[in-house]
Amino acid sequence: MTSNFHDQVVTILPRLRVQALALTRNRTMAEDLVQDAVCNALAAQESFIPGTNFSAWMHRILRNRFISDLRKRRETTDIEDVPAAALATAASHEDRLALKDLAEALDRLPEDQREALIMVVIHGMSYEALAEATGCAVGTAKSRVFRARRQLEAWMTGDSHASAALQARVARVKGILAERGIAAGQGMAEPRPL
Amino acid sequence: MTPPKDSRSSRLSKNNKKKRQDDPFELWLKRGLHQLFDEVAREPVPEELLRLIEDDRKIRE
Repeated sequence: MTSNFHDQVVTILPRLRVQALALTRNRTMAEDLVQDAVCNALAAQESFIPGTNFSAWMHRILRNRFISDLRKRRETTDIEDVPAAALATAASHEDRLALKDLAEALDRLPEDQREALIMVVIHGMSYEALAEATGCAVGTAKSRVFRARRQLEAWMTGDSHASAALQARVARVKGILAERGIAAGQGMAEPRPL
Repeated sequence: MTPPKDSRSSRLSKNNKKKRQDDPFELWLKRGLHQLFDEVAREPVPEELLRLIEDDRKIRE
């Protein structure tokens, strides 16, 4: 049982890192947050009931640790840090600009919305699992994801905050997808350039 | 006196979900988020963190 607990901690580490980065927007802070959350989880492992949702339990510990740390220190932001790896590998200058715009728009979202969106999109988490992991009602979880998507779309396709390059890019993507009558799965399976 | 739940609401919900999945912005957003975060998830776990977990495992066993 103990061994299984530790195995589960190791397995969930990549997902914790993504959640931590979604919350902190800073690589160094995210690594620290994961380590602190793991320490908390190891110290509190007796309180975990085997057979219950380990993922939700672990994500909640990380989230609580983040909130607790926030109270102790002023929030710092380093938006350049978030997409660094992706920006280094993106195919084109245009791709890098679009990703940078997206990273900046994400940065402007409230952290609970950013966290919810990323956990649903990147982890494929259900609204029920998200609600359990973040300690809120399912309706609240849905609402956070919906508002995050709607806000990002407004910023990136509609209003003056979006860069002209990005607006042109999104318009182009819309045109291409409309021409192809593309389905969701097909679009995501294509190579990176839109 | 709540109306009985028929399949219409679930059909509407499925249609909305399908519509959203086909939405070009939705596709673009998913792709962008994966580009930003997949790399992070794939990075190797720091040795120090793994050691911390393994040390605790040994103590508990």
